[in-house]
Amino acid sequence: MLEKLEEVKRNIQSEIKSITALKDAEQLKVKYLGRKGIVNDLMKLIPSLPSEQRAAFGQRINSLKTEVTNIVEELLKKFSVEITSKAKHEIFDITLPGKRPLVGKKHPLTQTIDDIKEVFARLGFDVVYGPEVESEYYNFEALNIPADHPSRTDFDTFYIRNDILLRSQTSTVQIRVMEKQPPPIRIIAPGRVYRPDTVDARHSFMFHQVEGLLVDEGVSFADLRGVLNQFIKTYFGQDVQMRFRPSFFPFTEPSAEVDISCSLCKGKGCSVCSYSGWVEILGAGMVDPNVFKAVHYDAEKYTGFAFGMGVERITMLKYGINDIRIFYENDIRFLSQL
Amino acid sequence: MTNAGLVVADIQSVEDDFCLDVEVTSNRPDCLGVVGIAREVAAVVGASVQLPEINYINTDPRSKPRTSIEVSKLISVAVEEPILCPHYTARVVKHITVKPSPEWMQKRLKCIGIRPVNNIVDITNYVMMETGQPLHAFDSDKLSDQKIIVRRAKSGEEIVVLNGARRALFHDMLVIADGKRPVAIAGIMGGRETEVSESTRNILLECAQFEPRQVRRTSKVTGIASDSSYRFERGVDAEGVELASKRAVTLIKDLTEGEIAKGAIDIRSGKYEKKRITLRIERLNKVLGLEIKRTIASDILKRLQFNILNEVETGFKPVSTFIDVEVPSYRGDVYREIDLIEEVARIYGYNNIPTKTSIIVRGSVKSKYEIVEDSVRQFLIGMGFYEVKTFSIVDTSPLQSVNLWSDRVGIDIANPLRQEESRLRTCLLPSLIRTKIYNMNHGVEQVRIFEIAKVYLAGEKLPEEKTCLSILADIDYLTLKGIIESLLLNLGIISKCEWMILGGSILFKADRSAKIQLGNNVLGYIGEAKELELKTSPCVVELDMDLLVKMSHFSKKYHALSQYPPVLRDLAIIVGEEVTWASIEKCIADVNISFMTVINFFDIYRGKQIPSGKKSIAFNLCFQASDRTLKSEEVDVAQQKILNALQETLGGELRKQ
Repeated sequence: MLEKLEEVKRNIQSEIKSITALKDAEQLKVKYLGRKGIVNDLMKLIPSLPSEQRAAFGQRINSLKTEVTNIVEELLKKFSVEITSKAKHEIFDITLPGKRPLVGKKHPLTQTIDDIKEVFARLGFDVVYGPEVESEYYNFEALNIPADHPSRTDFDTFYIRNDILLRSQTSTVQIRVMEKQPPPIRIIAPGRVYRPDTVDARHSFMFHQVEGLLVDEGVSFADLRGVLNQFIKTYFGQDVQMRFRPSFFPFTEPSAEVDISCSLCKGKGCSVCSYSGWVEILGAGMVDPNVFKAVHYDAEKYTGFAFGMGVERITMLKYGINDIRIFYENDIRFLSQL
Repeated sequence: MTNAGLVVADIQSVEDDFCLDVEVTSNRPDCLGVVGIAREVAAVVGASVQLPEINYINTDPRSKPRTSIEVSKLISVAVEEPILCPHYTARVVKHITVKPSPEWMQKRLKCIGIRPVNNIVDITNYVMMETGQPLHAFDSDKLSDQKIIVRRAKSGEEIVVLNGARRALFHDMLVIADGKRPVAIAGIMGGRETEVSESTRNILLECAQFEPRQVRRTSKVTGIASDSSYRFERGVDAEGVELASKRAVTLIKDLTEGEIAKGAIDIRSGKYEKKRITLRIERLNKVLGLEIKRTIASDILKRLQFNILNEVETGFKPVSTFIDVEVPSYRGDVYREIDLIEEVARIYGYNNIPTKTSIIVRGSVKSKYEIVEDSVRQFLIGMGFYEVKTFSIVDTSPLQSVNLWSDRVGIDIANPLRQEESRLRTCLLPSLIRTKIYNMNHGVEQVRIFEIAKVYLAGEKLPEEKTCLSILADIDYLTLKGIIESLLLNLGIISKCEWMILGGSILFKADRSAKIQLGNNVLGYIGEAKELELKTSPCVVELDMDLLVKMSHFSKKYHALSQYPPVLRDLAIIVGEEVTWASIEKCIADVNISFMTVINFFDIYRGKQIPSGKKSIAFNLCFQASDRTLKSEEVDVAQQKILNALQETLGGELRKQ
């Protein structure tokens, strides 16, 4: 047995001499140290030995294994260094640009709508949608805008037929939701709206609004202020101030227009805020009792508030965009910026 | 003022004075005059209003003696439509001198954008701007029979108004007529024939009230709008006629040296009764979220000139719980308790109302539509697609008229702004192609874009609004198809789609386009776009988003991974050109080997060793059981069954190596 060990030692010494490349060294490693290698074969002989010899023989094999391992490792190192030094004049440039996968983006208006949805979702508002082609009833009558009423002039409208039109505001969704379910209601309704405005830097015949509605017992104007303040601080920033101004909408009473302190000039006055320090961002108010009447809600028991904002306007404010038309040109150079 | 609801849009300094541009909301016609604005300012600052001077009775002995003729001797007035004209007054001034109005008046009129004409016309305009009550002056010598009749127009009548427009009149329009013909469209504009000119010597000054809806309708139908119709449409002060009329004659007396006939003709259909409303303090506080006392509310209402009726103890209810008020005649917009609540809130200051954050906690749930829409967007963005938004209203060109979903024509807008935007679209793809062209013209050669939006299909009453997902990309058909397949898997739609030959259209190339069928429904259309105006032919797809939402499901379940090794078999079969991969896949599936898990297509080859008219299709099959290691022999048996089936059904021959 011991002779076998010595023979292996001799063989390996002679084989080393014929090794000239990394490949040979690797083969040598497999031959002696592999799973079916010579060293392992020797190990398998141990059980056949008389028990008193086993321990000693085992030690000898282990030391042989260490010896062979050292030799092989040295050879491997030697030849791999040689290869590396051969390639010395080809240095890998780790500063080359990375290979970037194509990545797209959501449209800026979708980003704004998603951000608004997110804020209101955290306040418990569900997102609902309604039709864009509507009857006059949902766009006007049910919203307390009777025919031949001067407030109709504030809402120029595209018509399809006599009483069918393209909704000029997302408030239509308020009525559709309240018709279907009793209070409490807490919804926002984003979507496209249409008005026959001649297109220029500030007007588009199609734009997006987000409407909000909350109806329950004991809802007050102070709650409206609270919810909108929460939205404004979350969306525009904690240091932004809110201001309510009395206004008029047929479907709310009292009605307000809501301004935020101009984030561009911090309220000092600039061209964006027409040197007033304030920028109008939304309209709001307490749901008019006539609207509740249209959907058969008890206006004495329930109160509620509604608000609506223009998505384009908010997006333009947020990113400093000065021409509304750019949203619908879909120039990839624009879309990739935001 | 802005904080009370009157937005001051602009302040301009004019010589020694200022001109304020105030935005007046449509519910506040009382503020369409300087007096109204003054009343608001007075309420805000707690001051009182000084009304314009009315002193037309000439008492100065040095000037000409007052004419003693009664108006009723000079002219007669009949109101045939008291509902449409609840109040009509006429005064007459004789021997006037028509000339330019004084400098100060011209300056003020010009400042607010009114062109000075002559002293009489300027005075009527000036008083309207002062009081909010429109007036009109007729050259009374041109009135036939010295008669004014407020009546409906007769068919066949027409009028040429001050601005030169000629309009036919109809029975539903209210006119001011003399003995023979209409001389004004009531409340809207006077006629040219009775206009005050330099030669005018005697005038009839009309100051009246007209029913708002009638004025609005007539103004719309005739297409004639004026400062006067603007005010009548919104409703003037129910008791404003007297002040305006007297103010006007005061100015006429002072500026034209005319003789004012005695008295006025005043025809009124009934006595005006002031509205009375009760405001409950508890309700006020509940709606506003305030805790204010009765005295604060009543003080605000008093400042707004509301008459408090229950100032003293009534004995019925404790006075502190409600306020009974009488509404000023000029506040037509206030007629309910909620309107009083707004008045109190406005003057109390919206920004003095607390900012509460006490709404009840409530969880909101994302709808399935939202989940799918978000998921689709995120998936496509990750694949390098940009989301676009294009207009729903398009032109009527053949390209834009493509309708994949219905054979009915698109819905036209009755009052479009331009022909370019006159129809609701029936397909999103033409807009994506336009977007591709736009980008190409701006130096972006390759695009990957998508849009999620509605198409509008003609329906019974309201159209069907179908939400679609459309994609355009400069990639080949199979790459786009692969993206759609992955998208469907991502939405949990595991049932297989059928891709059926579409045969081309105005949009798609004939040999590379398909109708995609999912179950019994059409999921959409895919294909290589025809060149059209493009230099390239990108691939496009339009899918029924509503169907995607319906078919998607996100309830997932874990399946234990098999502990046993899979067996892979690579095969190539030679089939005729007409044999599709779908038929091969179906044929293999139909053999129904329980332990066959995947069929992978990997190659199609036509060449030397393959007879012409045939092709070699290479694929591999994966066999794996969840309960044992498959024996080579049983896989062989299965494979042979499959090959036999392919041979029998499709004439497929195994390709020998």
